[in-house]
Amino acid sequence: MTEDLNPVITLPAILDIRAAEPLKSELMQRRGHAVTLDASGVERLGGLCLQVLLSAIKTWKADGQALIFLNVSQALTEQWTGFGASPDEFVAQDAA
Amino acid sequence: MSDDPFEAIKATFFQECEELLGDLETNLIALESGDTDIETINACFRAVHSVKGGAGAFGLDDLVRFAHVFETLMDELRSGRKAVDEDVVQSLLRASDVLNDHVTAARGAGPAVDPDRSQALIAELETLTHGAPVSGTDADAAGDMDDDFGFTPVALSLDDFGAGEAMPLMDLPALDLPPLDLPSLDAPVVTGGEQTGWKIIFRPHPRLYANANETALLLRELGRLGPISVEMDDSGLPSLEALEPLDSHLVWTIHLDAPVAELDVRDVFDFVETDCDLSIMSVMAEGAGASVVSDSLPDLDDGLPSLDTGAAAEFDIAALVAMAQADTASRLGGGGETAPVAETPKSTAAPAPAAPPVAANNATAAAPAAASAATAPVTIRVELDRVDRLINAVGELVIQQAMLAQRVYESGLARSSDISLGLEDLELLTREIQDSVMAIRAQPVKSVFQRMPRLVREVAAMTGKKVKLVTAGEDTEVDKTVVERLSEPITHMLRNAIDHGLESPEEREAAGKPVEGTVKLAALHRSGRIVIEISDDGKGINRQRVRSIAEERGLVTPDQILSDDEVDNLIFLPGFSTAQEVTDVSGRGVGMDVVRRSIQSLGGRISISSNPGKGSIFTMSLPLTLAVLDGMVVGAADQTLVAPLAAIVESLTPKAEDIHLVGGVDPVLMFRDEFVPLVDVGQTMEFRNEPTELKGGVVMIVETEGGQRAGLLVDAIHGQRQVVIKSLETNYRHVEGVAAATILGDGRVALILDIDVLVNTGRRRTTSLAELKMAS
Repeated sequence: MTEDLNPVITLPAILDIRAAEPLKSELMQRRGHAVTLDASGVERLGGLCLQVLLSAIKTWKADGQALIFLNVSQALTEQWTGFGASPDEFVAQDAA
Repeated sequence: MSDDPFEAIKATFFQECEELLGDLETNLIALESGDTDIETINACFRAVHSVKGGAGAFGLDDLVRFAHVFETLMDELRSGRKAVDEDVVQSLLRASDVLNDHVTAARGAGPAVDPDRSQALIAELETLTHGAPVSGTDADAAGDMDDDFGFTPVALSLDDFGAGEAMPLMDLPALDLPPLDLPSLDAPVVTGGEQTGWKIIFRPHPRLYANANETALLLRELGRLGPISVEMDDSGLPSLEALEPLDSHLVWTIHLDAPVAELDVRDVFDFVETDCDLSIMSVMAEGAGASVVSDSLPDLDDGLPSLDTGAAAEFDIAALVAMAQADTASRLGGGGETAPVAETPKSTAAPAPAAPPVAANNATAAAPAAASAATAPVTIRVELDRVDRLINAVGELVIQQAMLAQRVYESGLARSSDISLGLEDLELLTREIQDSVMAIRAQPVKSVFQRMPRLVREVAAMTGKKVKLVTAGEDTEVDKTVVERLSEPITHMLRNAIDHGLESPEEREAAGKPVEGTVKLAALHRSGRIVIEISDDGKGINRQRVRSIAEERGLVTPDQILSDDEVDNLIFLPGFSTAQEVTDVSGRGVGMDVVRRSIQSLGGRISISSNPGKGSIFTMSLPLTLAVLDGMVVGAADQTLVAPLAAIVESLTPKAEDIHLVGGVDPVLMFRDEFVPLVDVGQTMEFRNEPTELKGGVVMIVETEGGQRAGLLVDAIHGQRQVVIKSLETNYRHVEGVAAATILGDGRVALILDIDVLVNTGRRRTTSLAELKMAS
């Protein structure tokens, strides 16, 4: 089933409390596979979605799979680092 | 209550204000009496802070401005940077009065606060805080206010947090609240001069997000205060599989590189204080590290004493503790998000071997706070109207139950029948429901007592007397209606006690008394009633003068023989208060007769006992509730009456030989070796002109408020019952000797006797035993 899923997830513009559950579930459906996150349209990032993304990065790293952020918007970059999250980790996945 | 949700929230805010201001007053009084415990100071701070917080949300600028200055001084006190002394406490008490007035004005329940008065006190508080007024002259004040409270664009120095524009991070329904006014202090309050910034450890709870708050917003607000650097600890973050998306696992450490006031930092977290773990530490220059100014982990709020003042040695310890604490807080993030708060102080203390005494103190100080928070009763706010509807319904239930019992009784069913037994259970249950419902309305008299210190201060200032108010029994509970209507008579009697009762300081000194007079306000429960006593250690009642005034006014004749008590009680007679007595303070055209009437309308009584040179005691006795009463149902002259059970000592069938005449006119009953006056109820109430037949008659021995005993002569006793009180004044008019009415089980109205009045009237009316038709 997972083979049929699009390996690219387009992140919604608003990553707030309401986006956290769906985001996790989208990611979990692709567990064990390389995933690309299209982050071009992200305008806002809240604390809970930050957790989901950080946890996904860890999990995918542990699985030895690639989790790639594509076309990261300026807003996401700024807010990601604003949270004190490491931009290295964020960007490193891109290269993975 | 308004349907407008904003107005409803505002109404709730003002209700809370009332409680907060009450707490503030109580704690300030405690401070005044020498209790400088950190928790007392903290409680004052929190009260002012909460008022300010809410007022800010509603854009009540005057209130916010005043509360802010007040709060700043409280902050100085709780941090130990400023010592609590007599002058400070007096200023705080005055400030509390003005704050109260600001709230009242904001609510629209009173006139606007005189700007000069408010400004003068702001200057006074600022002088205490900073050594000089900060706001400048009055003329400048208005201008300053705009600067302080309008939205001030702050040059953002968010190095790595690009949220310069006001960009909402949450796509939630707009709350439409005005922008948070975060008035920055004109001058940083760092007195030591070495503080360079703040280290904040912040761990949101899931509730924070659920309540539509957002870490990103808080970080951005902090960024407005000065340059920040943010560290995130994600060590507690589980794998995606195990992650509950709505749980909170991250911990942030924020370094704010600006020596702003602690208050400003706290204000950022104002609305999320209970939804996160928060630790705010001041950072000192020259690598001294962080010093704990306060640790506001929830429920332990401000449990830590301030450590950033004092000698260098202490400073090092403080720094060590702070660092240990920072480490602990970081580790907490890895411990699963639901780590109970109560564990925090333990782990705070544990990793600080360099500072065992301080750490140990922290733990012990924090533990009780956590414990008390855990046992604090949970409350909800309910509109009074709903409670009253419930009480009315229960009242009807009681009546209905009594009527049902009456029908069953009349049907001749055996007492042991299932129906009768079931009815008994129903009666018990009804009573339990009624007690529980009444308990909802019961309130401590504290809410009234709390208003009195201010009154005493003001009256003392106006009369130039020195007065100490001592209160006791503030927790005594009584029905809300009674509480609300206590305020006026107590206010009047306190004014009276200070103005007329207490002597001037010079007179007191000359009389060998302490210069400061004492007025005591006490509440207590006594035989099913609440008793309020107002006593003073003043000069007592000048009986000669009272008597001469009463004679002048034609209230008594010169040849009338009066006991001391009777003379004292003349002051309650209508028309006693004279124009000569009117002063600014107590003479407002309201005599003691009005006080007595207002107490009587509550089913209460007032009396005075005075000791010349030593002082006077006013005693008010009121029913605990105006809704139900345990009564004895009696019959007199074909009428069914109810005598309050609390007044009845005993019932008996008198023997003819026990009845005697005093002075040939007043009938008395020999009862347990003493004579008690007999009152024929049927005749006294004018149900009949003829005196009662003693044959088969019953005497109820009753005791009046003043402890005086009498025998009430009735035809028969029908039984003891709880009755629902229906006001006679509301439905008809006041009737002498009748306290209220009730509806009986058979649907008839029965009058509830006012024992005291009845005894006094009866004694006057029952003329001669000879008129009593002795049957035996």
